[in-house]
Amino acid sequence: MSNPFLLVPIFCPMAGALLSYLVGRKSKPARDVVASLFGIVTFLSAALLFVQAAAGRTFTFAIPYICANGLTFKLDGFRALYAGVAALMWMSTTVFSGEYLEHYRNRNRYYLFTLLTCGATIGVFLSNDFFTTFVFFEIMSFTSYVLVIHDEKPAAMRAGETYIAVAVIGGMVMLMGLFLLQFALGTLNFDQLQAAAGQGANQMLLYTAGVLILFGFGAKAGMFPLHIWLPKAHPVAPAPASALLSGILTKAGIFGVLVLSGRLFFHDSTWGSLILTLGVITMFLGALLAVFSIDLKRTLACSSMSQIGFILVGIGMQGLLGHHNSLAVWGTVLHMVNHSLLKLVLFLCAGAIFMNLHVLDLNKLRGWGRNKPLLHLCFLMGVLGITGVPLWNGYISKTLLHESIVEYIELLEAAGAGTALFHCVEWIFLISGGLTAAYMTKLYICIFWEKPMQPFEEHKKPYMHLHSALCIAIPALLLPLMGMLPTQIMGGMARMAQGFTGGESPEHAIAWFSLTNLKGAAISLGIGAAVYLLIIRPLLMAKDEESGRRVYVNRWPAWLDLEMLVYRPLVQYIIPFVTALVCRILDHLTDWGVALLNHSLLRKRPIPPRNEEDYKPGNFLPRERGDFVSQRIVSSISYSLLLFGVGFCVAMGYMILILLLR
Amino acid sequence: MEIILLVAALLPVVCGVLLLARKAFDGDSLRPAVLVVLALVLVLVIAGAVGPRGELQLLHLGRSPALTVYFRADGLGLFFAILAAIMWLLSGLFAQEYMAHEEDQRRYYGFLLLTEGALLTLCFAGNYLTLYLGFEFMTVLSVPLVLHTQTEAARQASFKYLLYSVFGACLGLAGFFTIYTYGTSTVFTPGGVLDPAKIAGHETLLQIVAFLSILGFGAKAGMFPLQAWLPTAHPEAPAPASALLSGVITKAGVLSIIRVVYYQFGRDFLRGTWVQYAWLALALCTVLMGSMLAYKENLFKKRLAYSTVSQVSYVLFGLALMEKTAFVGALLHVVYHSVIKDGLFFTAGAIICRTGRKTVDQYRGIGKEMPITMWCFTICSLGLVGIPPLGGFVSKWYLAMGALHSGLDVVNWLGPVILLASALLTAGYLFSITIQAFFPGASFHYDTVQRHEPTTWMLIPLVVLAAATLLLGLLPQPILQAAEAISGTLFGEVIA
Repeated sequence: MSNPFLLVPIFCPMAGALLSYLVGRKSKPARDVVASLFGIVTFLSAALLFVQAAAGRTFTFAIPYICANGLTFKLDGFRALYAGVAALMWMSTTVFSGEYLEHYRNRNRYYLFTLLTCGATIGVFLSNDFFTTFVFFEIMSFTSYVLVIHDEKPAAMRAGETYIAVAVIGGMVMLMGLFLLQFALGTLNFDQLQAAAGQGANQMLLYTAGVLILFGFGAKAGMFPLHIWLPKAHPVAPAPASALLSGILTKAGIFGVLVLSGRLFFHDSTWGSLILTLGVITMFLGALLAVFSIDLKRTLACSSMSQIGFILVGIGMQGLLGHHNSLAVWGTVLHMVNHSLLKLVLFLCAGAIFMNLHVLDLNKLRGWGRNKPLLHLCFLMGVLGITGVPLWNGYISKTLLHESIVEYIELLEAAGAGTALFHCVEWIFLISGGLTAAYMTKLYICIFWEKPMQPFEEHKKPYMHLHSALCIAIPALLLPLMGMLPTQIMGGMARMAQGFTGGESPEHAIAWFSLTNLKGAAISLGIGAAVYLLIIRPLLMAKDEESGRRVYVNRWPAWLDLEMLVYRPLVQYIIPFVTALVCRILDHLTDWGVALLNHSLLRKRPIPPRNEEDYKPGNFLPRERGDFVSQRIVSSISYSLLLFGVGFCVAMGYMILILLLR
Repeated sequence: MEIILLVAALLPVVCGVLLLARKAFDGDSLRPAVLVVLALVLVLVIAGAVGPRGELQLLHLGRSPALTVYFRADGLGLFFAILAAIMWLLSGLFAQEYMAHEEDQRRYYGFLLLTEGALLTLCFAGNYLTLYLGFEFMTVLSVPLVLHTQTEAARQASFKYLLYSVFGACLGLAGFFTIYTYGTSTVFTPGGVLDPAKIAGHETLLQIVAFLSILGFGAKAGMFPLQAWLPTAHPEAPAPASALLSGVITKAGVLSIIRVVYYQFGRDFLRGTWVQYAWLALALCTVLMGSMLAYKENLFKKRLAYSTVSQVSYVLFGLALMEKTAFVGALLHVVYHSVIKDGLFFTAGAIICRTGRKTVDQYRGIGKEMPITMWCFTICSLGLVGIPPLGGFVSKWYLAMGALHSGLDVVNWLGPVILLASALLTAGYLFSITIQAFFPGASFHYDTVQRHEPTTWMLIPLVVLAAATLLLGLLPQPILQAAEAISGTLFGEVIA
């Protein structure tokens, strides 16, 4: 059913962006109110769509002729869910920004771009063909750049450089993939991809197109080896923007991966293996980086990368499991939602700390959370959620993802195939979960239990306004609520969303808290406790000479950085140098030819110029300008006639040649 | 109705000659008067375009029908003519303030009008000779624009421009003689005029001549190997003129190539021959080379000139594919590039005019001083990179689709790859300016910022062009239809 209301959550925040910018030029408090109101209105419109979709309705809408190909939108369960999550996150962060950014410069710019990004991101989630996705995806990439570099400090500018480079390169590579896909299938419409790909299209071409498109979406999602920007860009942005970057912009990348896996390469085990491999590496590497990090927001950013890895593992398993993919589909969708909400809570907590202390180094903010029960409670909810403790939301999705791996092992065993590889995957999965528990415990104990290095000067009381506190507390309360009512809330959401990637309903009701499922969580938490006690406390902390206390140190070798080691030298120096050299030679080729003629065939008798410092002769001017005689000759009528005569002879000769050739 | 078009082409010539001949026209009222003339030309061209099309045979030179000055306005000619007239008007608007600070305005405007006349002649040319005359006139008459500042560098640049262009035109003339010999007529006919009976056995000669003509007219379009004049000459002219040189006059080369390849030699004759492959290779080489050198260039206007080298070769690549979709893409890119490059050169002009800063490394924080100008610059540069939903994206889509559907080996995928690699470099050399301009860093002294925003006269064309970049990208339907109609006459039988 065609319904133009679909456009409201996309264009309402965009209109709000312009309006708040204009209002902001007159009055700053009014601007904050306008921006927040637009955030709320967007959320309400998305909520309205969510209710419609929950009732099983789907809507479509198309705007023909835009950018020649036209834009198409569709609302189904998954998209309504994600538009809703996105709108919720933008509402919370926009309201929270009011206090967070109080002392920042260029706030008008911030609101303009945050609301534009909101519209573009929701546009990505509601799009129904890759062309539309791409249009909004590119808008999102560029508008979010402004959020990353908001404070314009050197670290932010550098991270922004990486961010925009990855975004532009990712966008171009993706566009190439879209060209190929359009060429191979003749359509980019999500609803037709599966059928078109089944009709004997060139598989090699499809895989090439798929990998190229994956490059673009994966770069945004923070997938290995394109994750380099993520641990740098997320921490330098203002906290509300970090929450958005981590929580929802990465999901826009995941959205694309889902479409590829669930539509174009539906039940394709080769594709599934590729995504699974990348997912496993991303999952483990992110967790490892997070364990080493001693910066609050960087830890959270690396954690995001790791959680994206978990989601990718789920997507990979969907491809491998084929018709038995229901657990993987549910796990993927629910982990996406969980991670968005968790990162919203955690980053806003980090924001509450940063706006008071203006530091992110764990040693400097140690113990600041003591005696702040609200912040403590909210952060704890996030920690329990993300580590996968039963009764909190993260447990549900991680269990589903774990079960999907176990299920595949069982399928392999039934088929008599080797399972060693997938036992490995299972263990990496559990260890990554353990590392998650370890780095979150590290943050939690550091902020809320350890004694401060020196007493804090409290600048203001209370440390945050009521409306900011609500922005953190409400999502934080959702986390245990979702975890305690898994069948009602989580199951309902998953059932709504499963159709998007062709998931089937589970064959039997899921026993969320069965012994085997609890066992998986217990193993992870056990590994986490072991890592925390045996590695983090003894090895990643060292005695500080000044204070005589043990402090957190960064043991990650500074040189071990894919970006500094490979990408930057390659992209910034080696490739430009070589190509520029070749191009310069080509560029001067003709000029050199002219110069060569000037110095050989066309060389005039050397007459020393009268005034040598007067000028520098070039290749396109008579050489002896200073010489009176030759200047006279050049400007005389007889010289013109001579030139004319030469030209005439050439023309005559040419005509004779033509005549002869006839 | 056709007489209107003739008036449109003659009016700027007459006004230009009057301007140059009479000192009395010098003064402050000169600039608004020229503006009126430019507006009138635009109105006439559009009026002529709306009315029924006709032919006009003006002048016979000799007894041969080939040596006739022959005017005819078909869709293609009008497409370029309307574009040129609009850009000339915008440039005139921009010059209101820019040229107020310059000397020798009478000369500048005189030759500007004459160049427009020559360009319109070229657009309305109905046969090879008229095209050649328009081409040569345009070259010679636009030299004074490059020479305007009369510095040593400008003299050097204009001589280089003249040498390359005249050499190119000579190569084009070879095409005329050959068509005269081997063709049925020299009138532009869709599909070509070669006489199969005459060419039998002479295919190689004809292919060589066709290739040389492409090279020759390609000089104007900045195609390798005759591109070197462009980055020297364009930056020397005053900004409103460099905008026209880069944005529109390079397109005269494109138009000439279309006329020669598609209306004289014929697509069928060249398709699949070495000429096509060599042309494709040269175009792709230029695309990459221009972008790379722009990326390395520090002088702002020179960076834009290198960018022109690259972007016009996007168009030539589309033409060289000899495929319907790519042809449409090429025509779209003609429009987008004109709009965007004019916008970018106007930005450069506004900055130079208001602050005197010419190199890119001086632009830190300039977005705080000239916010509207730099916003326009940003929108135009996003368009040039081809970020949706802005202009350049649509043409790139068509060009790439055309390449994939062309059925040629290697080029079908290599072409789009190179276009995207060049877009990446374009992002590198344009966004770095935007980023510096708007995000000067936390250490920037905001209290020393002075507003340098240009006057309304300067801002109007800038804003119009930036808005056009956005609107023509969002709603390309009007130009798309025009381009499809033109390609329909050339590729009628092909269903792409």
